[in-house]
Amino acid sequence: MDFTVTFPALVAGRLVLAFTPLTQYLRDDHLLSSPLTSYARLQEGVYLFKHGIDPYSGSTFRHSPLLLSLFSTIAPLNEITAPLLWTASDALAAWSLVHIWRARQNSTSTSRDSLIVALYLLNPYTFLPSLGLSTSSFENALCLLSLMLACRKQASAAILTFAILVQLSLSSILLLLPLLLLLISNPTSQLASPHFLKADVWRILPLAGRFAAYSLLLSGAATLVCGNFSWLGNTWGASLTLPDLTPNPGLWWYFFTEMFDHFRAFFLMVFSVHLLIYVVPFCIKFQHDSLYACFLLLGVLSIFKAYPTLSDPGLFLSMLSLFPETFPYLHHPIVTALLHLHAALLLPLFHYLWLTQGTGNANFFYASTLVFGMANGSALLDSIWAGMRLALGEVQEGYEVMQE
Amino acid sequence: MPPAILLKLRKFLKPDGDKNVIRIRRRRKLLGAFWTNLPLLIIALLAVGYLWMIAIPLPMLGQRTYIDENALQPGQVHTYWDWGDVHRADRYLEALEQLRDRNASSFEIADYIALEFRRAGLSADVQGFTLTSASKSRSGANAYAILSSPRASGTEAMVISASWLSRTGEGDGTLNLRGVSTVLSLAWFLKGYSLWAKDLIFVVTDGYLDGMQAWITAYHGVSQRNLQAEPLSLTSGVIWTALNVDYPGHSFSHVGVFFEGLDGRLPNQDLLNSFQRISTYTGGVPVLAYDHKDDWDGLNFPEWAPDAIKNNHQVKEYAHRARNVVRHVGYQARGRASGVHGLLHQFRIDAITLFAVPATGPHGFHAIGRVIESTLRTMNNLLERLHASFFFFLLVRPTTFMKIGSYLPSAILIGVALLFSGLREWVNAGWVLIADEAPAKSEKSGEPVPRGKWARRRRPVIRAIAIMAATHALGAIVFYLLSSAWYLNDATFAPLLAFSLPALLPLSAMLLPSEAPDHRAPLAIVLKSLNLCLTSTVISILSVLNFSLAAVMALVVGVPLYSASSSTSTRTRLLRYAAHDFLAFGWIVLLRGEVVQAVTNWELLGVWFAPFVCIVYAPLVLQSALVCILPSDSETTR
Repeated sequence: MDFTVTFPALVAGRLVLAFTPLTQYLRDDHLLSSPLTSYARLQEGVYLFKHGIDPYSGSTFRHSPLLLSLFSTIAPLNEITAPLLWTASDALAAWSLVHIWRARQNSTSTSRDSLIVALYLLNPYTFLPSLGLSTSSFENALCLLSLMLACRKQASAAILTFAILVQLSLSSILLLLPLLLLLISNPTSQLASPHFLKADVWRILPLAGRFAAYSLLLSGAATLVCGNFSWLGNTWGASLTLPDLTPNPGLWWYFFTEMFDHFRAFFLMVFSVHLLIYVVPFCIKFQHDSLYACFLLLGVLSIFKAYPTLSDPGLFLSMLSLFPETFPYLHHPIVTALLHLHAALLLPLFHYLWLTQGTGNANFFYASTLVFGMANGSALLDSIWAGMRLALGEVQEGYEVMQE
Repeated sequence: MPPAILLKLRKFLKPDGDKNVIRIRRRRKLLGAFWTNLPLLIIALLAVGYLWMIAIPLPMLGQRTYIDENALQPGQVHTYWDWGDVHRADRYLEALEQLRDRNASSFEIADYIALEFRRAGLSADVQGFTLTSASKSRSGANAYAILSSPRASGTEAMVISASWLSRTGEGDGTLNLRGVSTVLSLAWFLKGYSLWAKDLIFVVTDGYLDGMQAWITAYHGVSQRNLQAEPLSLTSGVIWTALNVDYPGHSFSHVGVFFEGLDGRLPNQDLLNSFQRISTYTGGVPVLAYDHKDDWDGLNFPEWAPDAIKNNHQVKEYAHRARNVVRHVGYQARGRASGVHGLLHQFRIDAITLFAVPATGPHGFHAIGRVIESTLRTMNNLLERLHASFFFFLLVRPTTFMKIGSYLPSAILIGVALLFSGLREWVNAGWVLIADEAPAKSEKSGEPVPRGKWARRRRPVIRAIAIMAATHALGAIVFYLLSSAWYLNDATFAPLLAFSLPALLPLSAMLLPSEAPDHRAPLAIVLKSLNLCLTSTVISILSVLNFSLAAVMALVVGVPLYSASSSTSTRTRLLRYAAHDFLAFGWIVLLRGEVVQAVTNWELLGVWFAPFVCIVYAPLVLQSALVCILPSDSETTR
């Protein structure tokens, strides 16, 4: 089907859904919005800010000051604008995804465009948080936009978008290195022919400097908006110190509800540093295809970040559509699909048994987040395997590929 | 030099040669063994699952019930209910009988009851309601009263309720006059004590389930499209526990507990256990599960069974337990409430019905009053909601239960068997054996052994998923038809017409051409694989929410779905299709009464059973019917 037909049609469909009363039920869902991305908390913050109270003096508001200034000035939040804004952000994300695909194929229009748009806009993991007005949709859109700009070699725009993304969600900083590598290398698929990085690695230094400058600038703007530095601890600090243990589909919250206080600092450090150890190995192993490294790191983030929502695995799974060349080499796609099916049903069910019906307890929901973690882990591991296995191509009969 | 056995062991664990070659060999051997034994494993899992289900009522299984929440202290109080209160209950009974005899309307009765509540010194009111369903509309009135706690702020409450109709025969018209009299007399009696730490709410509801539905939804501010209920003028705090009194006969010999709620919800087991202890030791009334008395006559052994079996204690115990389990599954699987208490569970209220099993004696108002008084005192002790004991259990005998871990695996094992066989079909769909020109003769038997090269082939996944989605959509259409007035009113033609739609429409699948299976797997195999995987997921997930429904589904679909396959003969295909399709939708014709009941429960009480059967269960079996009728591949595939 033609992209110019399907894209507007899908966006229109999403817009209609966004205006249905259904969204009211999704707004406070723990799976769809975390304390860092919840719409209700954003409204609370904007209200306090407009009434001259520092929204960061309490512990409910943990959104970036950039969102605060945006929504208290040019884009007021109400029942009309909010669905429009969130749908627009989803449309932007899907549009960026298609342009990443086009850049990767090095063509202006392909037959898979419509499919890729549909896989983003119809993915329940991405559209449900968006219907629930979780700001994680903005993070996804910014992430895809900066990747798209990086694929198109628009360095300044890509780095600025990425700096804004880091303002909204600190853990996205993991993508910095592969994004900069992407800027100096080629976005087309190189998975089949691995090679050393052709460009000079030191070329990323000025780019990194530019990122630092943008980040400083944005942080300065944020400080100006709130008048003090209290936003630092409440936004960036929150994803490092986990002050709010509201349940979410990730793996951190339960661990830290069970933790003795004197171990807390140590394990916070372990959990945060653990995220960093993936960056360099992925960038080295996939130096020939930095986009793939970005994709894998998004998979890592979707499993292990501090306050994930369903949007994060949703972004990873939708991005899978960019790499059809790896599909024949996936080891166990059906197992991954079944794990995701089980997890997608168990998460809301056990959440209901624990918090609505009261017959279950926190362990039930935690168990379902573990299943979800396994599903995401299985998708990530299989993608890593397929990405590397691709280079070996079809093996002859009588031969077998082993991982040592 | 180490001993020889150690050397051997080391050689076994760390053989010589290339490490990777050994690893590949070992992996191939393991996978090969797994693959060749997989059909056996699947059958074993199915068999163990079914046997486990049969074994659930075995006398050696299960454990004694116990009180888990220390605050409850059941039966530790002196009861004050005496013959004066019994006399008052008798006077109320006479007044109610007069109302019954002159055929008083719901509103007259409710007004009378509310007046009596007020005379007892409580604030009371009447709530009118109108129910409209596809077939009829009905009005009624509830009376209720609130006794504010003298010792607390009234943030928590307990409910004592009685419905006008008894649960005997699921509200077939038997009146619960003595239950209502008990509640009225209790209102006078309980008002006289200052020890209540929670508000007491007395509710006398109209009809069987509909009155309570109107009252409890109004109490929680939930609106329902087909139910116009007046808002309540008097409210109290959060209701934690509730007792529903059902006393239809003249006297009673035992008290039966009924505990199943809508959609298979169960109350906390501590409530049942405390009541059981109190009734047995304070009231001196033996407790039953349901109305199943302990006499051997109720077991209905066939005439021809030998006496040695009929009189065997173990067999009798098994039969008693099986009877309780079957009764429980009957309520839970269909999502039905076994009494008026069942409507309260959806609002997180632990509630049971005390059913005074009609008999010529020896107990009456005196015993039931004491038991309720003591049970209320126990519930009054709670400092937090009931949470300590079990929410997932099977009560096989009044004082014996099974934990979730001892019955859940039965359904899960069948689910796992279906999952494995789905994955097996998935692998089958992906590979094809391209035979050599001349099949080599096997050396031993002389039969031709297919030899050739295994080649990958494409799986038509998108088409299979589209077919599955279509069957679920068809199920939704059938559900819409069944809940329309047309089906409810026409008992002869409508069921046949409603059945013919899902029976005939899928036959169009026969028109699909048979394809050469070399490059693309036959649709039937992929459809079967996905169908088995989805069914297994549904069974496993459902088993936590409503075990009985999951178990019944596993029992019904396990073997048919596993054994569904296409055939080269058109007649076999049609026969298999007919059998599967009848399993999927045959109930539309055969069980019309059940369908009407289930649809009514969905419309009035929001029970998910009817939509589940139409939109989940039937389409899954229909998919396997399609597996039977889709063209098979003519060539041999493994």
